[in-house]
Amino acid sequence: MSIAKAATKATPYVFVGPAMLLLIAFGVLPLLVALVVSFTDMDISGLANWSNIGFAGTANYERLFADPDFGQAFGNTVFFALIGVPSVVIVSLAVALLLARSNSRFFRALRAFYFIPAITGIVAIALVWGYLYNTQFGLFNWLLSLVGLPPVQWLSDPLLAKFSVAFVAIWRGTGLNIIIFLAALQGVPKEYREAAALDGAGSWRTTWSVVIPLLRFAILFVTVTTVIAWLQFFDEPFVLTDGGPLGATTSMSIFLYKEGFRLNQFGYASAGSVVLFIVIALVTALQLRSRRADVEY
Amino acid sequence: MKSYIKAAAAAATLTALGLAVSGCSTGGGSAAEEGPLTVWIMGDSGANFEELVAPWVEESGTEVEVVAVPWDGIDERLTTAVASGSGPDLLQVGLSKLRTFADAGALMPLDDQLGDHPGLAAENFPDGIAGEASAVNGETVSIPWVSDTRVLFTRTDILAENGIDAPPATWDELRADAKTLAGRGEGQYGYYIPQWDSPLPVFMTWSNGGDIIDADGNVDFDTPEFDAAVDTYTGLYADGSVPTNSDFDQTQGFISGVAPMLISGPYLAKSIADSAPELEGSWTVSPVPAGSGSATSVFAGSNLAVWHNTDQVDQSLELLEYLSEPETQLEWFEINGELPTNVDALADETLLSDPLVQVYAEQLADARILPLVPNWDGGVGADLLTALNSIALNGEDRETAIETLITKSDGVSVN
Repeated sequence: MSIAKAATKATPYVFVGPAMLLLIAFGVLPLLVALVVSFTDMDISGLANWSNIGFAGTANYERLFADPDFGQAFGNTVFFALIGVPSVVIVSLAVALLLARSNSRFFRALRAFYFIPAITGIVAIALVWGYLYNTQFGLFNWLLSLVGLPPVQWLSDPLLAKFSVAFVAIWRGTGLNIIIFLAALQGVPKEYREAAALDGAGSWRTTWSVVIPLLRFAILFVTVTTVIAWLQFFDEPFVLTDGGPLGATTSMSIFLYKEGFRLNQFGYASAGSVVLFIVIALVTALQLRSRRADVEY
Repeated sequence: MKSYIKAAAAAATLTALGLAVSGCSTGGGSAAEEGPLTVWIMGDSGANFEELVAPWVEESGTEVEVVAVPWDGIDERLTTAVASGSGPDLLQVGLSKLRTFADAGALMPLDDQLGDHPGLAAENFPDGIAGEASAVNGETVSIPWVSDTRVLFTRTDILAENGIDAPPATWDELRADAKTLAGRGEGQYGYYIPQWDSPLPVFMTWSNGGDIIDADGNVDFDTPEFDAAVDTYTGLYADGSVPTNSDFDQTQGFISGVAPMLISGPYLAKSIADSAPELEGSWTVSPVPAGSGSATSVFAGSNLAVWHNTDQVDQSLELLEYLSEPETQLEWFEINGELPTNVDALADETLLSDPLVQVYAEQLADARILPLVPNWDGGVGADLLTALNSIALNGEDRETAIETLITKSDGVSVN
């Protein structure tokens, strides 16, 4: 084999290499480590001296499934995903469709406006929303008091706190997805709209029967990424409520963080993260399988 | 077939490279041999600490590098330091974290060194924290550094307006007074319970003459004294005397008078004096209320410890001895407002001329440290708060909640 030929053959690997390297080093390897650790009783003394680590078999997993706190965290995560995913997808799609109706300066400004939450630091967001939600001095309760309503415990009532936290995440999550939908909308050929208009279809009909079916791939993409994000839900409850009150906003990720980094039970937390990984992998695989072929006209 | 082999070879190479890359970070080592002493100081008092040790640095010729570690970040910091094997030389450890740090093998046992350093001997410190009292598994792993306790803060002006002459001296009085004060109107409360304050129910139990640790060192919540503490805790909520929102701001609540009584540490006195100097004279501190027994509070100070694999043991111990001297500790109170642990410093006349410090000193004489169980904050302490708050805030069945708490803490011990 000539050198030139070998070089040609090596080209794809050279291109794929750097990305692969990063993926293996920071994606696959930690996952394998977590898998191994999940079968041990590793805690902080094990971290200091590896001889303190013992093989635990499936004990961590058995404990996990018997742990009511894990059950609560799992339930909360499902709850968050059920509220959050449809809200984010529908709201961003609706806003994107509205924003795409005009290209005037005002609408362009609006696009930037809707993107702001996505690029604002979570700590700043938490600070501002923490004050908005505050029971004593919060804006929301002040507005309620104007119309004579009693104060509401936005972040202290176990049920309401779930919605309050989810709302911030929805507000924050729509920005990026609006941009994705807007980009996808650019890809809808004008001819189809014109053809629909010539056939006498109104604005609603065109959107519903032509534009949205053509956005199917973008919708799938947004749904898949949003589902993953909500199953890993962490930032908002962590900074707003730290998983409280009484664990009502503890998602699986927060549960794992607390077990791992506050209680130093690395083996147990790893078992939880493996379970979370499997759940996410299954849900994602299911979504991808259910994808039908893109609509073609 | 050939291409498969090649692909496999390529993948293997990449994996190996990946391993090599990720392996680079696990080297690390302990502190440099003759470099400066690295000291971890909690909170934002790093600059003050540099000022404090400046004379020692000059005298000994050893540089001191101070790293301020935020209280919130200490768990992560510890984990990283233990995993990488490179920590500081000297570090401040909050008493509630002492057991966790010691269990991780992060702290050097000091028993063999104490003979050469009389300044670090147990008799220099109050009984509640010295030597045995804060030893882990029979080994002295730390030396007391700063004292902190909880006292009762009251707005005397508001109490007087409502016909209460003096701060309550017992929990029963406090409960009755709180109810009176909560009756001032909508949105007014009598007392404030921080929902994250796990020592509170513990010293309520102590004040009833009980303990949450049984004779064998196991955590035990199945006692009449703890039961009485639960009565007090949940009773305050049941009376409507305590705000139920978790985002209640205690300093603002106290200054505005919404919650004119609460239990907190000396730092609250400082923030009140700073943010509401006009209230001077209309608030006071007094020892925590007594239950059916004594008016016992929690001792929540910090200790100093030597990192397990430091190369500069002698210098670290010398600095430790310097920091344990009464003069140093009194100066620290001057600079940073944290109370000393040295008995001579605690008895200092200038220190005691401050009426607030008198109350703190009086309370410190009747204060105990939280049981040194593994990971109090994340484990038993968190479970305790969950149980009590679920009863008080969620109306959970009391028996079930306490039963769950007992099951969860079963087998946890100080041994």
